[in-house]
Amino acid sequence: MNIADFSDQLLTAMINADRAGAADIIECAVAAGVDPPRVIAHILDPAIVSLGRLWEGEAISLAQGFVASKIAEDALLRCLPVGGVHQHTKGAVVIGNIEDDFHSLGRRTVGLFLTAAGWDVYDLGNDVPAEQFLKKALEVNACVIGASAMMQTTALNIRRLRRLIDARGLRDRIKLAVGGAVFNWRPELVAEVGGDGTAHNAVGADQLFIRLQSQVKREVAQ
Amino acid sequence: MEELHRLGLIRGELLFLDSMLHMYPPLLEATLTAALEHHDGQSGRLVLVYGDCSARMLDLVRRFRVGRVNVINCAQLLVGRDRYRLLMREGAFLVLPEWARRWEHLMSSELGLTRGVARELMGENRVVLVYLDTGLVPAPEQELAEFSSYTGLPWRVEAVTLDSMLAALLEAEAGARIEPDGQEMR
Ligand code: B12
Repeated sequence: MNIADFSDQLLTAMINADRAGAADIIECAVAAGVDPPRVIAHILDPAIVSLGRLWEGEAISLAQGFVASKIAEDALLRCLPVGGVHQHTKGAVVIGNIEDDFHSLGRRTVGLFLTAAGWDVYDLGNDVPAEQFLKKALEVNACVIGASAMMQTTALNIRRLRRLIDARGLRDRIKLAVGGAVFNWRPELVAEVGGDGTAHNAVGADQLFIRLQSQVKREVAQ
Repeated sequence: MEELHRLGLIRGELLFLDSMLHMYPPLLEATLTAALEHHDGQSGRLVLVYGDCSARMLDLVRRFRVGRVNVINCAQLLVGRDRYRLLMREGAFLVLPEWARRWEHLMSSELGLTRGVARELMGENRVVLVYLDTGLVPAPEQELAEFSSYTGLPWRVEAVTLDSMLAALLEAEAGARIEPDGQEMR
């Protein structure tokens, strides 16, 4: 079986909400010699991207969405290096759901993907006030804060974080990534809340954070 | 709201849309927009008693210059922001009267959950079922007990007054475009 077949099978298991079947597929792939980073990049990522499309088209139910995110979590935990620690990390980042928002699934998936991609992720959880994001970012010397918001009003709460970062003169040192369903539906909201960038899904988060980190390096060097 | 109206604490006409529209956000948006278009230009203040139920709720507020309760959902409307936050942090799954009566249908037909998935979903995300009891209708204890055994979560009843809701409604009314009569829409 080639790697794309594994990915198709995994997508089918996700759609069928078959968590045990999905775990078997991942084991088979590893047993067939696909190393864990490739399992994530070539089996899990494409399945999640396809699933995201189905999700956006409202072709899958909450139940399927939930089991699929569990499957993704299982697969990531299976494939992450032991302890999740990389010898050379890409750097520290802070993530969390902004104040009043309790939609944890997407943010947790983003966290797992970033960890898998080699970032030192500090996940502050749900309902995180702007001050707490910034305090943590300064404490761990993070170059990017990732704020997740699933709703229009909670997305607007991110503006406070933007203002706080700017008021402390940290605009060039700490970049603000934003994400969540509402940003995917209304891309103009990214600018409205003062986000420096967004990614449609967890798969795109690594690239986004790399891009934002490089902006920090450039701006700090200038 | 009917009780507040009956007590004379809020004025105007109460208009209700089907609460099940929440399961179909685009349809909710379309129905709400049509209702607002229908009332646009008529005299009176219009207050939307909706949470952040669709991704364009605030756009409707701006477009029709109506007032809106500043809450995320109806549970927050009842208990207020601070209590809502504490309940969320506790891992509470909040249950309202209308929902409690129909929990089985909602879980399986509307959300597509089987018992196994529902248990897993609830167990991983929530800790306790909390029924918000306004005292206006008897707490549906039997349904709550059944829902509790279905989800595997314990349940309790928490009494709420209508004070937070009244305050939010009056604040929203004050924020609505000012014209003669009064109307409320839910
Ligand atoms: C599951 C869910 C819930 C669950 C959350 C469970 C949990 N522990 O997370 C529960 C039932 C608790 C819930 C509650 C509510 N919800 Co809800 N919920 C959803 C639902 C169906 C799916 C969200 C989800 O988990 N998706 C799966 C994950 C994997 O995807 P994701 O969240 O989009 O995340 C991905 C990307 O967006 C991105 N991403 C996410 N964050 C970030 C951050 C960064 C930095 C980056 C780069 C990327 C990124 O990567 C993620 C992974 O790929 C959405 C509908 C939808 N289509 O999104 C509604 C939805 C978000 N909810 C909605 C509403 C209204 C509510 C409630 C107010 C309902 C109510 N009446 O109580 C409450 C509010 C609770 C609160 N205070 O936050 C609305 C919001 C509408 C709006 N205003 O925009 C939605 C859109 C449904 C609708 N009506 O259309 N909800």
